[in-house]
Amino acid sequence: MKKIRTLGLALLMMAMFLTACGESSSTKNAEGEASKDGKVKLTIWHNFAGDDLRAKTVRSLIDQFAKDNPNVELDAQAIPVDGYRQRLSTVAAANELPDVFFVYAGSQSSELHKAGLLQPITELVNKNADWKNQFLPGAFEPYSFEPNQIYSAPISMSATSILYYNKSLFDKHKVKVPITWDEMMTAIKVFNENKVTPIALGNKATWVAQSTILGSLADRVTGTEWFKNAVAQKGAKFTDPEFIKALGYFKQLVDNKAFQEGANSIDNTQAEQYFIQGNAAMMISGAWTLTNLAASSSEEQMKNIEVTTLPSIPDGKGEAGTISGGAGGGLALSKRTTGATKEAALKLIYAICGPDAQKAIAESNSMVMFDTQVDKSKVSSLYYKAFELVKKSKITPVYDAYLSADAGEAINNGLQEIMMGGSVDAVAQKLQDAQARSATP
Amino acid sequence: MKLETTGNSAAAGNTGTALKTPITQNFWRRALAGLVRLPLLIYAILTLYPLYWLFISAFKTNEDFFKRPYGLPLVWMKENITRAWDLGHMGRAMMNSAIVTILAVALTIILGLLAAYALARFNFRFKKVVVALFLAGLLIPIHSTLVPLFLMMKKIGLLDTYGALILPYTAFELPIAIFLAMAYMASIPREIEEAAMIDGTGWWGIFGRMILPLSTPIIATISILAFLRFWNDFSFALVFINSQSLKTLPLSLSLFSDGFGTDYALTMGAMAIAVIPTIVIYLILQEQIMKGMVAGSIKG
Amino acid sequence: MPTAIRSKGFIAIALLPALLLFLVFVIVPIFWSAYYGLYDWKGLGAAKFIGINNYKVILEDPIFWRALKNNLILVVSSILGQIPIALLLALVLLKNTFFTRLVRSAVFMPMVLSTVVVGLIWGYIYNPQFGILNYILEHIGLGSWARPWLSDPKVNMYAISIPINWANIGPYLVIFIAALQNISPEIDDAAKIDGAVRWKKLLHVTLPMVWGTVVVTMVLCISGSLKAFDHVIVMTGGGPAQSTELLATYMYNNTFKVYRYGYGSAVSTMIMIISALLIGINYIVTRRKAS
Repeated sequence: MKKIRTLGLALLMMAMFLTACGESSSTKNAEGEASKDGKVKLTIWHNFAGDDLRAKTVRSLIDQFAKDNPNVELDAQAIPVDGYRQRLSTVAAANELPDVFFVYAGSQSSELHKAGLLQPITELVNKNADWKNQFLPGAFEPYSFEPNQIYSAPISMSATSILYYNKSLFDKHKVKVPITWDEMMTAIKVFNENKVTPIALGNKATWVAQSTILGSLADRVTGTEWFKNAVAQKGAKFTDPEFIKALGYFKQLVDNKAFQEGANSIDNTQAEQYFIQGNAAMMISGAWTLTNLAASSSEEQMKNIEVTTLPSIPDGKGEAGTISGGAGGGLALSKRTTGATKEAALKLIYAICGPDAQKAIAESNSMVMFDTQVDKSKVSSLYYKAFELVKKSKITPVYDAYLSADAGEAINNGLQEIMMGGSVDAVAQKLQDAQARSATP
Repeated sequence: MKLETTGNSAAAGNTGTALKTPITQNFWRRALAGLVRLPLLIYAILTLYPLYWLFISAFKTNEDFFKRPYGLPLVWMKENITRAWDLGHMGRAMMNSAIVTILAVALTIILGLLAAYALARFNFRFKKVVVALFLAGLLIPIHSTLVPLFLMMKKIGLLDTYGALILPYTAFELPIAIFLAMAYMASIPREIEEAAMIDGTGWWGIFGRMILPLSTPIIATISILAFLRFWNDFSFALVFINSQSLKTLPLSLSLFSDGFGTDYALTMGAMAIAVIPTIVIYLILQEQIMKGMVAGSIKG
Repeated sequence: MPTAIRSKGFIAIALLPALLLFLVFVIVPIFWSAYYGLYDWKGLGAAKFIGINNYKVILEDPIFWRALKNNLILVVSSILGQIPIALLLALVLLKNTFFTRLVRSAVFMPMVLSTVVVGLIWGYIYNPQFGILNYILEHIGLGSWARPWLSDPKVNMYAISIPINWANIGPYLVIFIAALQNISPEIDDAAKIDGAVRWKKLLHVTLPMVWGTVVVTMVLCISGSLKAFDHVIVMTGGGPAQSTELLATYMYNNTFKVYRYGYGSAVSTMIMIISALLIGINYIVTRRKAS
């Protein structure tokens, strides 16, 4: 009997414990929290946690804000990038988002919006019309979920598809820097004959090939219009011949051994190092490579590196000389933030994305979606070249900023499949299915 | 003891047949021992290599790290260590990790050993149910418990405290602790307890004065495993802790990677710092595992 | 019976704190997560009850089956690899000399190293351009065996299982040494006797005495292998093209990457069910062997 009683007691205690949990439901002060001394409490989460220049710049902007606003009790959390998504997803599931938080352009911010967890910052943008107009065209596009509403301002720009090349290797093997697709094929052939890897690629994190290569390549073949229709699943599908052709060009690169063997099992940093050490003649990568190289290579290695755009494609529907890119991550405002906290939050967003801040970020060797001048002496020479290149090139969409999360995974894995000898049609079909699933709920 | 005698007589029988052999036999035995030792030694060196590699890499520049992955550093970059220490707030983080880990290990040992003893030695109704429940705890992948645990701890106001780590760590480690301790206790002879019972010692006395000392090896084993798990945990520490002042070490280790690139020099520096306490703890506890030898021989 | 009553009190006080803590922090989340598995939920916003539909989708997804197969490779390799090697090492290294201390510590060291370091080192071993493995193969005339070990879907899961096994022998070694301490006098004597007798004794005396521990380690192997996550994330991220996907990485991706939280929870419940099944089978097999 006693045993049963003991166990019963345990269960009872547990039940009580759990009901206690249920009752003390979450109570977030809707009026904007004020602490005892009348200060406004404000929380911001971001992932500028590292030691690179941009992260340091953003953190110093936040510190400056805290100094300038003594009436705000600022709780700023720098969360490592590796865990940021997981942390934000968990608190979002529990509806416990902080007041202001960093979001990625693309599926993350649009899913948060769909779930009704964000509120627009349109009033801030409209109040500062000069600032708004200084942003480059398309800067607010990923954050305009409804007409006439803006949900975030991009902190930075992601230019994802710059062709980096090692000039001395091109000179040594007397190869012309490719402007057309045929020249690219010739270059690949010559480098392979001379036992130099034509293009370094580190595609272990699956998004790399998609973001850096496919976006630009496909845009040249299909044109931007078609891609946006295919994303909306209106009048275009990813199984259309245009897209099959685009994937075919990627397959041509694979079949001609443009990438080093095992590209799918090394990371981006390792590929960059492989390239900078002169093992590969080219690398197609984003602006982040500028930051990484600046931190990890000698000036001597850097002086051989030049930047340009991907070669043109014969009779493509899209323009040549474009670079895929767009607004990078930005700061979003939680729906639950109101009153004085909201005012302080908007002020904070302006402090990190405003004109002075954008200039400071641009001068930390990081691209911005903002019309600003950089002081040439403050940045690395390679960054300056790339900055000028991006400024004069037309920007086309990055695939995963537009596709649903599911479809993004499908094409990422699909490109790896093609690299392993998979069929182009099957990959296109999987991408189409995934995008159709999310476009028609 | 009976078996021992048979063993000895068999050995004696062998030596009896060949009188002139002691020396040669000795030689062959040594050769055989050497033959066993050599591959062990090679294996040991190969397995220690990654540790050595971590420590030399911690002192390299990024360029050096990639150019000459196996060589000694061209320039010994002590700054990697100091910069990683400062940037990662590793002093504070190490304190927090130590507090959380030590308390959670202690709790795991106390609760785990008691529960294991109750389960190993007594029969009661629902015992199988209890064992099955603990078994279930071994099977769940921790990532799927993050959201439920977060919600629950939010409601009881446990988030962002040491308790938010100590309690779940202990709870998740209990099954391993209990199963290992149960298996171990099964081989402690019951006669010890019976004798003590006759002397009038109660269960608490038996547990505290006889079972616990006899269980030193398994306590040390459980401590090592628990220590490693808690010291290295990333997910719980990431999600359940907010305040910078409460953050633990694994968060500092991932600071130098931004999804587009990794600063390996700083990452290796931070890792080299973080690994030292675990090595020290392992070496101390390893000796504790061997202490069972003494207890064991008394018993025999 | 005063002792019986006293022992009941003892059982209650000894067992309840552990049980209570465990129920609240482990069992409740398990059921909570299983409950999410019945919903079509992105982890954000509204959820829709769909019953066992998630499970149907799981069973129809070829990636799930591939992940399961990869996990089974780990289960088999760990039971046939880690346990016998660890047990053998434990027997050889039971004495406390400088040499055995050194080897024991060495075997344990991969466990204290971060998976990032283990992943990097094995990445260098397997690297197709300057990897050690291909280099050795080419120099001993087996150049045709050289390949990109982590990218080639025919071999990469096996290639990954080696570092995972290697890194995890340590704990099992420690567990076995602790278990053997309890019967050390007999083992000590076994070292003095020769050949056949020694092996017989090992088989008939030593092994049965640590059999309980062997069974526990098998359970740990099965549950550990089905939850395996870190090493694969570091070495291949589950790729290329999901060829090294494991159940736990599949669960993680669905939960946190593609906003299928309900589905991810269902996968996690599936992992538990499969583990429980395998442990049940293991229990039946090992019990028969022991008797």
